[in-house]
Amino acid sequence: MNPRKRKAITREAPPAESDSGEELADGLLDGILSHSEDSSDESQDEDYDSEDSSVIEGLSDEDDELDEDEDEDESGFESDGEEQRIREQLRKLKTSDSSSERRNTSLNLGDGEEKGLEDQDDSLKPNYTVTTDANGNPRYLYKEIDPIYDSDDSAADVTNTIGNIDLSYYDEYPHIGYDINGKKIMRPAKGEALDALLDSIDIPKGWTGLTDPATGKPLKLSDEELDVLKRLTRNEVLEDGYDPYPEMVHYFSGVKEIMPLSAAPEPKRRFVPSKHEAKRVMKIVKAIREGRIQPYKPPEEREEDDEQIHYDVWADEKPRPEKSMHIAAPKLPPPGYEASYHPPPEYLPDKEEEAAWLEQDEEDREREFLPRNHDALRKVPGYENFVKERFERSLDLYLAPRVRRNKLNIDPESLLPKLPSPEDLKPFPTTCAAIFRGQEGLVRSVAFDPLGIYVASGGDDGFVRIWELLTGRQVWNVKLSDEEAVDSVKWRPDKETSILSAAAGEDIYMIVPFTILSPDVEQASRDILDAGWGYAASQPSTTTNGETKEPLGKWSRPGSRLESKGVLVQVTVRSPVKTINWHRKGEYFATVSPRGQSTAVAIHTLSKHLTQLPFRRLKGIAQTAQFHPSKALFFVATRNSIRSYDLAKQELVKILQPGAKWISSIDVHPGGDNLLVGTYDKRLLWHDLDLSTKPYKTLRFHTAAIRAVRYHQGGLPLFADASDDGSMQIFHGKVVGDMMENATIVPLKVLKGHKVKSRLGVMDVDWHPREPWCVSAGADGTCRLWN
Amino acid sequence: MASQPEVKVPIRLSTRDQSIRLEQDAGVLLVQTTLKRPQLSALVNSLLRPAAQPIPFDILINGQFLRTTIDQFLTANGISSETTLDVEYARAFVPPLNVTSFEHDDWVSAVDVWSHEVQSGQEKILSASYDGLLRVWNTSGDILATSTAPNNGGRITSLKTARWISDKKIVAAGLDNIVRIYKYDDSTRALSATVELYAHKWGVENVAVSSSTNRILSASSDTTISLFSTSTKESPVAPSHLLASSTSASHKRVKLSKQSSSVPSRGALATFTGHTSPVSSVLFAPSDHTVAHSTSHDHTLKTWDVTTTKCVDTRTTGHSLLSLTALPQLNLLAAGTSARHITLIDPRASATQISAMTLRGHKNAVVALDRDPGSEWGLVSGSHDGTAMVWDVRSVRAGGAVGEGGERVGECVYMIERESLGKGARAKAHGEGVKVFDVRWDAQVGIVSAGEDKRIQVNRAIGE
Repeated sequence: MNPRKRKAITREAPPAESDSGEELADGLLDGILSHSEDSSDESQDEDYDSEDSSVIEGLSDEDDELDEDEDEDESGFESDGEEQRIREQLRKLKTSDSSSERRNTSLNLGDGEEKGLEDQDDSLKPNYTVTTDANGNPRYLYKEIDPIYDSDDSAADVTNTIGNIDLSYYDEYPHIGYDINGKKIMRPAKGEALDALLDSIDIPKGWTGLTDPATGKPLKLSDEELDVLKRLTRNEVLEDGYDPYPEMVHYFSGVKEIMPLSAAPEPKRRFVPSKHEAKRVMKIVKAIREGRIQPYKPPEEREEDDEQIHYDVWADEKPRPEKSMHIAAPKLPPPGYEASYHPPPEYLPDKEEEAAWLEQDEEDREREFLPRNHDALRKVPGYENFVKERFERSLDLYLAPRVRRNKLNIDPESLLPKLPSPEDLKPFPTTCAAIFRGQEGLVRSVAFDPLGIYVASGGDDGFVRIWELLTGRQVWNVKLSDEEAVDSVKWRPDKETSILSAAAGEDIYMIVPFTILSPDVEQASRDILDAGWGYAASQPSTTTNGETKEPLGKWSRPGSRLESKGVLVQVTVRSPVKTINWHRKGEYFATVSPRGQSTAVAIHTLSKHLTQLPFRRLKGIAQTAQFHPSKALFFVATRNSIRSYDLAKQELVKILQPGAKWISSIDVHPGGDNLLVGTYDKRLLWHDLDLSTKPYKTLRFHTAAIRAVRYHQGGLPLFADASDDGSMQIFHGKVVGDMMENATIVPLKVLKGHKVKSRLGVMDVDWHPREPWCVSAGADGTCRLWN
Repeated sequence: MASQPEVKVPIRLSTRDQSIRLEQDAGVLLVQTTLKRPQLSALVNSLLRPAAQPIPFDILINGQFLRTTIDQFLTANGISSETTLDVEYARAFVPPLNVTSFEHDDWVSAVDVWSHEVQSGQEKILSASYDGLLRVWNTSGDILATSTAPNNGGRITSLKTARWISDKKIVAAGLDNIVRIYKYDDSTRALSATVELYAHKWGVENVAVSSSTNRILSASSDTTISLFSTSTKESPVAPSHLLASSTSASHKRVKLSKQSSSVPSRGALATFTGHTSPVSSVLFAPSDHTVAHSTSHDHTLKTWDVTTTKCVDTRTTGHSLLSLTALPQLNLLAAGTSARHITLIDPRASATQISAMTLRGHKNAVVALDRDPGSEWGLVSGSHDGTAMVWDVRSVRAGGAVGEGGERVGECVYMIERESLGKGARAKAHGEGVKVFDVRWDAQVGIVSAGEDKRIQVNRAIGE
C-alpha cells in the first residue's frame, strides 16, 4: 500500500482534526491484534495471485479509504443486521489480507504501516494553509509536494525496539513500544473503533464499490450473489440445500425378479445370428480379400512442387478505380466577400452597377446574385428563387434520360470498301490540253487514228476533219454531204494503212486522206480499198427462183469531187447509218441504222465490197453493234438488251439485260470479258460477261443521258463516258486476269469544258491508242483533247 | 523583335563573273541572319563600287537561290549559323521584255536564230510556218527571204521544224515527211530548196544539225530517227517507195501540178529504230557530235551512237516526252513532257536516278526547250499553255517539295506570256490561239518564241 497514494486521497478530503489521528492510531493497533488472533488459519490457504484475492485486495483498498472517511464523522450509525453482516465480512476480508501480508513481510511491515500513518499525520499538518479568498470562503493553499523516495528505507527506523517482550505488557498504554529514535509506536486502531467507523457509513444495499464493466455503473451484488461469493471464499458448495452425498437408490440390480416386466417370449432374433449382418460382413470380407478395401494408409507427404500447378488467378489483377463511372462535381470556389450577408462596403454595387446587373441577360451576368447589405443575419430574407430553382432542378431530373444508351460508334467511312486513291491511279486525263475548233454545228463523232497522231471528227456540217493531235491543227477536211450530218467516223484498225470510214446519212464513205500520208502508205490504203471492185458484180447474189436480188449495200465510187479529196468508196445502205464499228483485223465492219428494222445491222466485208445482213429479223430497235476484240463474237445492243452472237456457229450466245430503258452505246473491254453500257437514262453499267446477265456495277453519276462509253484500248485500265450534261467522267476500271477477283472500278475525274447546246453536251469520246489521253466531241462544235 | 539579340552569320563573298569581282577580297563578313536578297545585294554593291549605279544581284548560298531571309534559309537547309557561308553573287536575272513580234500568215511552228560570227544587229531569224513557208527575218522585223511552197503533189506542206545549218544553209521539215535543205543567199535574198531528203513515212517533228560533221538528224512520227548528210554528194539515193512519183495516184497528181524546178532527192545515211512511238525531239550531244539523244512519245529518252546507229542507253520516264535540250556543264538533259513539267535527266551511265530534278509550273505540254546561252543553269521552255518560262535549276521550290521520284522540284524564274493576248490577259491552260510551238534563246537577240498566234515574239532583257 502506497502511503503517498493515501495522502493524495486524504488531501481531497476536508481537513481532519489532528487529535483524531491519535485516536485512530489507537484503534488501529487494537484491530491488528484482534485480527491476528481471529482468522490467521483461515487465510493461510489463500493463493496470493488468485483472481479472488486480487478482487478482495481491491475491496480492501476501498476499505482503507472508507476507514479514513470514517474519521470525519465519528458518530455511530444505527444499522440493520444486514449492514452489520457485510461490515463484518469486509472486516474479515481485510484482516485476512493484512494478516497474510504481515506473514510474508514479517512483523516489520506492520511497523512500516504505522510509520506511514505517522508520516501521514506529520504531513497533514504543514501540507496546506487556510486563507480566505476574495469571497470570504476558506481557501487551501497547498505546499509543494515533497517527493519522498526513502519510504522503503524508513521501514528500518520504524522497528519496535522493545525486543523479545510480550506486547501484553503494553496493554495499559496507548503505545506498543518505541522506535529507534525512542518515540512511541502508537497502537493501531482497535476493533471497536473500526466498527464505529463502519457503522457510521450508510452503505447502500448490495454496495461493492466496484463498477460493473458491462454497464459502467456501480456493481451491486444481491444477497444470493454475496452468499455465493462467501461460499466461494470458503470453498463451500455454492448452492444452498445441495446435498453432495445423497443416498443411492438401486433401480437396476442383478437380482432376477420373479415376475418379469414383460411375459413375451424371447424373440428369435435375440439368439439367431443376423443373416443381414452376416451378409454385410461377408461383403466387407470379400472386398478386403479382393483388395477393394485397402487398410488405411496415411497419405504420403507429397513434395510441394511436383506436378501441381497453382494458378494465381489474381496475379495480374490491377486495382480498378473505385466507382469509375462516378464523376465528381467540380469543386466550386469558396464564397467571397461579396457573397456575405454583410459585405464590406466596397463590395456593394452602386446604383449604376445594380441597374446594369438587372438589365443584363441572366446568362450574361458575371455573378448570379447581387451583393446586399443586411445589418444582422436575422434580417436576411429568404432566398426568393428557392422554389423556382428547385422546380427547375426537379424538371431537369425528370426530363433527363436515366438509361445509359450504348451507342455503336462506327465510323461510316470504315464500312465503305477501300478504294485506291485517284492519286495512286495516275496517269489519267485531268485537263484540257487542246481545243479543236473550226466545225459548225455539233460534232457527232471523234476517232483517234491507229498511230495516235491524228484525230478525225465528223459533225452536223457534213465535214470530216482530221486534226493534228497535240496542236489542234486541222490538217485535212472533206465535205461529204450537204444535207446529212456525219454521224460516225472510225479509222480502220491497221497501222500500215490509213483508212478512215465515215457515215453520213445512208452512205458510208471510205477515205484515204492522202495529203497527210506518205506515198507508200497512201498506195497501201488504196490497194486495200480497190481490191474489192468488181467482186459483187462477178458473184451476183441470186435467190432460188433465179431473180437477181437487189443488193443490200451498194458499193460505188463517190464521184470525182470526193475522189480528188481521197474519198474512194461509197457504200449506200437502205437506212441512215448511225454507228460504224470495225472488226479488229480491219476486214469487216458493222454498221447499225436504228431505223432500218430488218436491215438495221449490216456487216460489210471490205475486201469483197460485200454487205450482209446477219439478222433476218431483229427483236427491238438496234442501237449499236460491236465485234468482240478476240473471239468471233458479235454484240448487238437493242434498246434494252444486248445479245451476243457467235458468228462462227451462227447462234445466240447470251442475252444481257442491263435493266436500262434505252441503251445509247456499248463498248467491249479489250480483254473481252467485260462490257460497258451507256444509257440515255443517265446510267453507266458494267457487265461482267462471265458473271451474270445483270450488270456487275451501275454507276449513276451523270445528270443527263450518257451518249458514249469507251474503254482505253492501249492497256491502261481506264474508261470514259460522255454525257449530255456537258461533262465526261474518267474511271479506273481494272480487270484482273483470273476469275476470282472482280473488276475494280474507281471514279477518277470529271472533265468539264464542253458547253451544253440545245440539251446536248458531249457526243462522243475516244481514247488515244497508247497514252492516257482522250478526245471528246462536243455539241458546242469543238473537240477537246484531255491529258 | 527588337529585344531579341541579333544573330549574325559569317559569310564569304564570291562570284564567277569576272566583271563584278571584288577588287580586294572582303574576307569573312558578319551579317545579320534577318537579311534578305536586296540587303545582301546592296552590301555587295557598296563593296564593289560605292558610287556607281547599283547592280541587282542574286544571292546564292551553296548553289541555291536565297529567296527568304538567311535565317529561314539556314533553318530550311539545316545549316548552322556558326559555319562560314560561301555566298555567291551573280547578276540578277533581268526580266526579258517584249521587244518586237514578227507577224506571219499562219501558225509559226519553228524558229531559229543565226548569230554565229555576225555583227550585233545582223542576226537572222528563221521561222517555219504551217503554211509551208520558211521565212528569214532580220532583227528589225523585215522579211529577208521567203521560200516558195514546195510542190509535193497536193500533199500537206506544213513545216514543223527548221534549223540553220550555216548562215547559208537551212534545213526544214514538216508533215509532208520530207526533210529539205534550203539555200539562203543573203545578197539576193533568195531562199530555195536544194535537196529533198526522203526517209520518213510520217511527219517529221524535229531536226538536229551538226554543222561540224555536216550531219542532220530528223525525228519523225513514224518512230524512227534518220541521219542525213548536208551535202548532196554524200547522200545516197532516195528510197523509191517514198517518192511522190512512186505510186500511180500521187504521180498523177504531181504531174498535174506545175513543176517549177526539179529538186534532187536523196535518202538517209542511216535510220535509227528503237522507239515505239513517234519521236518528238532529237539532239546532238553538245560535247560529242557522234552521240545523239532523242525523246519520244513512248516515254523514253534514248542515247544513240551516231556512227554505229545503235541505241546506247534508254531512260524510261513516266510520261510522253515532247522536247529536249542539253545543259552541257551540268551533264543534264532537259526533257519537256506532256504531263506539264520538265524533267532533268542525267544521261550518263553512272546516273542512277531517272530524274535529277523536275521543273514544274507549266499548265500544258512542254513542246520546246532551249538553254540559256549566258548561264549554265538557265533554261527556257515553251508550252502549249501559251507561255514561255525561264528556269534556273538552282531555283528550287521552297518547302522542300519533291517530285514523283523524290527529286527536287524547280521553280519558274520568269514567265513570258504572249503579247498577242494583250495586257493583263492570261492564257487558259489549253492555250487556245496562243500555244507556243518553239522557243530559242540567243545571247544577242534574246528569247525568240513562235506560236499559234501566228507571230514570233522576241523578248530581251534590256539594260544588260
